Amino acid sequence: MTTVLKLTNLSKIFPVGKRLFGPPKALVRAVQPLSLSVEEGETLGIVGESGCGKSTLARMLVGLLPPSSGTIEINGEPLDNADPTLFGRKIQYVFQDPISSLNPRKTIRQIMEAPLRHLHNMSAADRGRRIAEIFAAVNLREEFLDRYPHEFSGGQAQRIGIARTLAADARILILDEPVSALDVSVQAQVLNLLANLKDEFGLTYLFISHDLAVVETVSDRVAVLYFGSVVEVGPADEVFSHPKHPYTKLLADSAPVVGRPLKAPEGRATELPNPLNPPDGCAFRVRCAYASDQCGREAPRLEKQSDGVWTACYHPLSGSK
Amino acid sequence: MAGYILKRLISALPVLFGISIIVFVIMAMIPGDPATAILGSYATPENVEKLKRDLGLDKPMMQRYFIWLGNMLQGDFGRSFSLNRSVLDEVLDRFGATLILAGTSFVLCSILGIAAGVVSAARQYGLADRAITFAVLLGISIPSFFLGMMMILIFAVKLRWFPVSGMWPIYGARDLYALISHLTLPALSLAVVATGVIARLSRSAMLEVLRQDFIRTARAKGVHERSVIWRHALRAAMVSIIPVLGVQAGFVLSGAVYIEMVFQWPGVGRMLVDAILKRDILLVQGGVVFVAACYVIFNITVDVAQSLLDPRIKT
Amino acid sequence: MMAFPKLLARNRLALGGLIVMGLVVVLALITPLLPLADPDVTNTANRFKRPFSEGALLGTDHLGRDLLSRLLWGTRLSLAVGFTAAIAAATLGAAIGIIAGYYGGRIDNIIMRGVDMLMAFPYILLALAIVAALGPGLMNALIAVAAVNIPFFARNIRGITVGIAHKEFIDAARLSGMTDARIILTEVLPNVVPVIVIAISTTIGWMILETAGLSFLGLGSQPPQADLGSMLGEARSALITNPHTSVVPGAMILIIVMAINLLGDGVRDALDPRLKSGALSRPMPTTMVKRTMPVPEAKAETLLALRGLKTQFQVKDRVYKAVGGVDLQVNPGECLGLIGESGSGKSVAALSIMGLVASPPGVITGGAVYYRGEDLIDAPYEKLRSLRGNRIAYIFQDPLATLHPLYTVGDQLIEAVRAHHPFNKTEARAHAIDLLKSVRIPNAEQRVDSYPHEMSGGMRQRVGIAMALANDPEIIIADEPTTALDVTVQAQILSLLDDLRRERGLAIIFITHDFGVVAQVCDRVAVMYAGRIVEEGPTRTILNAPAHPYTARLMACVPELGQGRRELAAIQGLPPVVDKMPKGCAFAERCNKASDACRQANIELVRHGANSLVRCISPETSALEASE
Repeated sequence: MTTVLKLTNLSKIFPVGKRLFGPPKALVRAVQPLSLSVEEGETLGIVGESGCGKSTLARMLVGLLPPSSGTIEINGEPLDNADPTLFGRKIQYVFQDPISSLNPRKTIRQIMEAPLRHLHNMSAADRGRRIAEIFAAVNLREEFLDRYPHEFSGGQAQRIGIARTLAADARILILDEPVSALDVSVQAQVLNLLANLKDEFGLTYLFISHDLAVVETVSDRVAVLYFGSVVEVGPADEVFSHPKHPYTKLLADSAPVVGRPLKAPEGRATELPNPLNPPDGCAFRVRCAYASDQCGREAPRLEKQSDGVWTACYHPLSGSK
Repeated sequence: MAGYILKRLISALPVLFGISIIVFVIMAMIPGDPATAILGSYATPENVEKLKRDLGLDKPMMQRYFIWLGNMLQGDFGRSFSLNRSVLDEVLDRFGATLILAGTSFVLCSILGIAAGVVSAARQYGLADRAITFAVLLGISIPSFFLGMMMILIFAVKLRWFPVSGMWPIYGARDLYALISHLTLPALSLAVVATGVIARLSRSAMLEVLRQDFIRTARAKGVHERSVIWRHALRAAMVSIIPVLGVQAGFVLSGAVYIEMVFQWPGVGRMLVDAILKRDILLVQGGVVFVAACYVIFNITVDVAQSLLDPRIKT
Repeated sequence: MMAFPKLLARNRLALGGLIVMGLVVVLALITPLLPLADPDVTNTANRFKRPFSEGALLGTDHLGRDLLSRLLWGTRLSLAVGFTAAIAAATLGAAIGIIAGYYGGRIDNIIMRGVDMLMAFPYILLALAIVAALGPGLMNALIAVAAVNIPFFARNIRGITVGIAHKEFIDAARLSGMTDARIILTEVLPNVVPVIVIAISTTIGWMILETAGLSFLGLGSQPPQADLGSMLGEARSALITNPHTSVVPGAMILIIVMAINLLGDGVRDALDPRLKSGALSRPMPTTMVKRTMPVPEAKAETLLALRGLKTQFQVKDRVYKAVGGVDLQVNPGECLGLIGESGSGKSVAALSIMGLVASPPGVITGGAVYYRGEDLIDAPYEKLRSLRGNRIAYIFQDPLATLHPLYTVGDQLIEAVRAHHPFNKTEARAHAIDLLKSVRIPNAEQRVDSYPHEMSGGMRQRVGIAMALANDPEIIIADEPTTALDVTVQAQILSLLDDLRRERGLAIIFITHDFGVVAQVCDRVAVMYAGRIVEEGPTRTILNAPAHPYTARLMACVPELGQGRRELAAIQGLPPVVDKMPKGCAFAERCNKASDACRQANIELVRHGANSLVRCISPETSALEASE
């Protein structure tokens, strides 16, 4: 297996309260320096709640946002989007909101042709043939091609978005909450489609979602993000069946599940810390039942536990669930 | 709050600076030679040269700008050759009259416009809405100077309710009654267009707000509809109405130029038009900079009002 | 785009404006061909002839020139100048606005500072300054009017462009290998053009007024040439003696500008997509009611009962039957779950109870809502208002949008109390603090003075719950109260709601799309599909052994934690659009058990087992199983 995507100490800092001259008033560390790698053909799931930096991370990976520090390597080469036609063939992005990712004033055919024309310089005839192939792969009827985006439901629009991504013919796909705007019945259709496409075209996925259960159904490995940092990363079945980090455990226990009685996993009303005024040490310690003085002194680093799981915690939970 | 006002005042400095540059550059584009314009085409070359030196026209642009700016900051706007009077004195005299006219109009159009807009939105597609919409359309389509002329014809000449023109009676007491009777027609003519614009905008801002979820929340709480409209919706709509009031104040001030011409109102607008026709550059320059500066200050007041209304604006 | 002329034609006022404008433009165009007197030849002997006099239809002016001829030539000139100024200002302004909005950052900052500076002038000062510099003249007036309007266009278009530049399809275009220039031309511009057209059509009248104004002041067209403004200006001295010389050009300006404004409004309405859907209508205080069928009787004395409730959305000529006959009842202290996918009508049904469906376009067309035996659907407004938030309260989904942004949460709570009880301010405030404490908000004494934007999502939803509790209601209708929240916060809110309901004996209608939530908080559950209830019964029965194929298949779609990587059991196809409902079972199209009988006639909701109801002729479980 080869590493197709490698992030080293990647971070993003947003200035708040910009001025025309001089430094901004405050800095928000949306993504703390983090390192991850994705192997060819695998699906790495990224889970986290709103504000954990997962979308910022995704946008950096496809060059839509410049990182503040660190490096991104794609197929062993540093990310370089100076030439959009080369870059778009390496990595692509599936958006969360399927409707707003399609230009309302273009037909589906025009939308589908853009990557074929600009990335692959295809002739009109080739483009027609390629679109037909892709539409067949994503179960869309070709009669849709001459319609406008507003005529489609969310599920159909998301299929069109995926079809456009396939047209770019990139091997790596960043999927940013691709099903969170969809109803469950349609969500299952799209998740199954994504799994089939991956096998058919040999794709590598970075699958971002706030929904643990969704991530579990698609991922080989999973990384849990909290407040801009990876707190736990490892094989999906290990992480989900035996969470080591208290936050992962909280996340797993919070999702309402049929057959589990209601109980608040947290007694207190606590939420994400204020990003303008982050706590010292471990960002989770204010919500954590196991927090000690050590947690407040210095943020824990990712360390390898048993079974190939890495956890950033001084007091990892023992294996039993 | 004091900090916010101070911050806004400081941020106005570059704007004022920019205004002075724009005015100076525009005036520097004037073809020909102001000195000749002042002295007339029969002047001797020696006299022209002397005047040029007196006016500082022989110096380079940059230097001339800073001299002009420095003088202005000390309250010296130069002398008007056509009136043979200090520009600042003349502008101050005239600006008072304009302020009375435009200020009255602005208050009128703000109150009438917002009220009409709210009623119109609350009764959307009802009789009141249709009537207001039509009146607004008429209001924004009629040239204010034409409206003023028709008002003179009807209310001053035919009905003799108000004087034809001027600010004060030629004979008789200069009291408040005299002022109001002279002010009524011009202030109304001037207010009509802005009332229309504000009413229109208030209506659409209200309609926009009335669709918001928090209006549904207010209704779900059992708040009375009257309070939903005038308390919940109007307060939220004011966030988008207030900036428009600021812009409209500029339009009222602008429209005052026409109205001053029609009603012979001794304001700064008529002074400027006369000065342009007489090519009295210093008077134009001084008048424009002075009025623009006042408008900037006014807009700061608008911003402060906005920040008082909307807690989401960081103070 | 094809619908544009049709939409415009439908607007009668705009059509009138178009016709008048068309006539004026045609007249202006053929003016040189008409047998008119020379507009500039003076004949002082014939000065101030009245209108309709011999040889001068509209009379003559102070120099004896034919007014009709001068009017037509002047109109020609005014129109040409107005249009040119509008197009010039729009083109330049739009270009500046698009560049500033698209590139953002420092470019935007610098450009917009410049624009702000120009807008810091009352526009006429700038126009006067420009005319002063260039000298009076029509061309210079045109330049001045165009120049002072550029900042308005630039700012307007920039705002729109910023919105578009942050849309995801722009990112998608970038990833499709398109360059910035191409994105601006093919992705941004087509979305901005309608706004530019609207801006032109609504300001062109204004431009004509402005150029006329400068001419009126004597700074525009110079004698003997005349546009409408200078005609009016020259006539001013004879206003009192010969008003017709003023009225003629003035009325013409009024007619032209009014026609343009009518037309402009029509163009705006036709191009603004929000107006297409009728979304800019003001929702009435209560939902409109048009019941044609006889009102169903209240069955027994229950707390709240919906009987055959039908709510529709009437948009233009389409009718969306969002709720197509719903029966439900809630008993004191009970938590009823209402579950369904988006578009199933669950929220609309819940909002119909207190007449809160936005209307237009919502209309309640049938059925009844009985609160303690009293029908609320045709209750007068004052009756409904006295119950809203008092006996029956709502909690909504997105707490940021549903709280008023400009009032403190304390003010909003106090208002909720005082809408129904004559508390004085101090009492109400103390009560508000108690309410915040009861929903476990820390530092309630301080938080009461916070604004909604200063709180986190979870805290805001607690405020929403406190507001619903303000008057000790009997029933709370919670419309997806935790959907917008993170799971960890959702868990906190759910357990809070559950505790409160047990402490206070509240009845809750809990609307959600999440089976897990239903399982944890609801006693009974009703499943909705395409506007109707397909299954209802005790939560445990339904979740353990769903009888309707839709419920069963939907539950199978939901990924659950702890099952590893797998293929999900998806339901093929999409729910029917509620303006084109199939004849029989709405789910038949997607159901693998469907037979011909399913598609032929309406299927009734029938008793199934001891406590359940199901709308299916071949349920998944036997009645016996369902009774267990």
